[in-house]
Formats: sequence, structure tokens, C-alpha cells
Amino acid sequence: MSSPSEPPDRRQQPGASRPGSPAPPVRIADLPRDELQALAEEFGLEPTRFKTPQHLAAALHERRQIIAAMDREAMLDVVRWGRRPVPLNAGKEQLAREIARITTMRFSGLSQRGLLVLARLRGVAVEPGDDVPALIRKLKRQEGFFARLNRKRRALLGSIVSNMLGEDRAEDDYQFLPPQSGGDSPASPPRRCGSVKEEIEEAGLLGGLAGRIKRSADSYVNQKLDEIESRIDRKLDEIDRRLAEWRDKEIANRIRILKITLWATVIVGAASILISYVKLYWFS
Amino acid sequence: MPDDLFRFFRLLLAWFVTIYCVIVTAQSLWGWWRWLAGRDRYLSLLRRYLLVQALRLRFRAFWGDALICLLLCAAFLLIWRAQYQMDQIEQTLKHVRTSHVQPQRAS
Repeated sequence: MSSPSEPPDRRQQPGASRPGSPAPPVRIADLPRDELQALAEEFGLEPTRFKTPQHLAAALHERRQIIAAMDREAMLDVVRWGRRPVPLNAGKEQLAREIARITTMRFSGLSQRGLLVLARLRGVAVEPGDDVPALIRKLKRQEGFFARLNRKRRALLGSIVSNMLGEDRAEDDYQFLPPQSGGDSPASPPRRCGSVKEEIEEAGLLGGLAGRIKRSADSYVNQKLDEIESRIDRKLDEIDRRLAEWRDKEIANRIRILKITLWATVIVGAASILISYVKLYWFS
Repeated sequence: MPDDLFRFFRLLLAWFVTIYCVIVTAQSLWGWWRWLAGRDRYLSLLRRYLLVQALRLRFRAFWGDALICLLLCAAFLLIWRAQYQMDQIEQTLKHVRTSHVQPQRAS
């Protein structure tokens, strides 16, 4: 990750390079408008609020400075609470991107420092000394009337669907992804595991149900892939065991053949020396 | 023409077999070496796998035979040495006899 002290336009654009393929640094201000907008959305900015690309680039620069100044542990709190799939060694910008994907308005279980990070990334003006109720109040106030209304409507719909489906939900402990070699990696698709009601509240009826079906299909495919992998592992272990047996047997056989050859050589040599002795001392 | 035809045949055979074995073994080892020294990713994997197989070799299965082979090699070298000594004695005796017979004939 680039240091916050660097000028913004000389830093590498996040997500433009992948580990192992060095790319020349790209100035944020030189990016095409659509890429700039996509980047802004990834960092939790609303691109339509900025009139010119220059304003957007400046906002992006400011946002990145805020992110660089954030407490990493607090960001990890938010990631754990939002159940976002990130590795433990993810950089701050990657964490910020994942946090920007969290749209839920249910803040139970999130620490005060996590609420501070979330509020700052949602563009809410907060003070470090704000307590949890104050932070939640500010976050809810920032949502807007119509957005809240829509959310309530979706929540109602979600509770109806949830009652119809009779969901029995058991939430597992959060686990980080395996560590990655590079600092920032391309963001993974959104995957928040919540109840049907919460999903419908966040993504709407169709979006929530589609997400649920997609996740079920994903888990089925993953289960099958795990089965195939374990079968291949068993087969490889069997091959390895047989190879080891064959190796030991082969070496033992070769040494036995060598032993027989040496016995024959020694016997012939002994017979030869015996004949020489008899010839020398008895017949000469 | 050599004095003893059997000895001559034995020496010739030993030389031929030794040279043949050295050439064939060297050729085989060189071929394996060249093949395993490739820069392919899978060959690198194979090299590591061979190393692991070599380290996992169970000596208990054949250490007795290997010890017998070593002792037989030592016995073979001793017999060789003894045969050489015997040949030297035979040569010396032959030389002594001829040198004793010639003065008698001359006198």
C-alpha cells in the first residue's frame, strides 16, 4: 500500500495492478470518468454528488487520506461484524472497500471504534469521543427519509417471506480468508451471510432471494468440490504409498541381485586361488 | 603369444567388461542428469519429489543385504590381492628354476 504522505496523483491506482504484474503508476486525475466513478463507489463515495472529475479526484484523495489515518483494528472489527470475506493481512484500502460494501443499518454487535470507522466511511461527521448511541443516531440520521422508508418496507416484506419460509438460522463464527501475498487485491463479490429478512431488507425481495439461491448453489458446488478434492487426495496418498512400497522392493531386489553376483565372484575367486595354490605347491 | 592363455583371457575380459560397464553407467547417469536438470516447472517438482523419496527410503528393509555386499566386496579385494601375491610367487619360482637350470647346463 502506498504511504499517505505521497501526493495523490503520483500513487498507483488501487486495483490497477495485480500481484506479480508490475504496472506503471497511473494518476488518479488522468483516469477516465467511468473508472473514476467506479473507484469512488468502491471507496464509498457517491460519484453523482461531484460535478467534475477534478472534484471527484480530490474527494478520492481526501478519502484515501482518511482511510490511511484509520485504526486498522477498528476496521477489522467492522469487517468481522459485517462478515466480509477478507484475509487477515489485507491492507487498509482493501478493508475500506469491503466496509463500503456493507449497507446494513443494524449496528448491534459493533464496537464504538468500529462505528466510528463505519460512520467516517459513510461520510458522517463524527467525533472520536462520540459514544455508541450517538454514533448510531448520526448514522441513522444520515440515511435519509425515503431510504429509511424503503428499508422499512423491505424489512416488512422480508419478515413476511421469512415467516413463510420458516427460516432456521444458525450463524457460524467469522473466519478470515487465508493470507494473500500482495497487499491489495481485486475485491471479491459481495457475500454477506445474514437471515432472509435481513437480506431482503438490504437488497430487496428479488435481490435477497436471488442472493440466497446463489449462496445455496455456491455452497453445494463448494461441498462437491471439497468431496472431489478429498477423493483426489486419497488417491494421491494411495499412489504415494504404492510408489514407496515399489521403491523399497525394487532397491531390495537390486541389492539381492548384487549380493548374488558378488557371492558368485567371490566363490569363483576363491576357487581360482585354491587351484593356483594346488598347482604351485603340489604339482610344480 | 602370452605364456598362459587363461590369464590372458581373464585380463582381457576384465578390461572389456570394466570399460563397457563404465560407459553404459556414465551414459545412463548423464541422460538422467540432463533430463532432470530441465527448467520445466514439473521437472522442478519431480526433482523435489525424488529428493523426498530418497529421504524417505527405509534402510531397515535392506540394510542386512547391503552389509553383506560390503563384506563380499572386501572379501573380493582380499582374494584379488592374494591371487596377485600367488602369481608373484609363481613368477619368482619360475625365475629361480630357470636361473638354476641354465648354470647347470653351462657347466
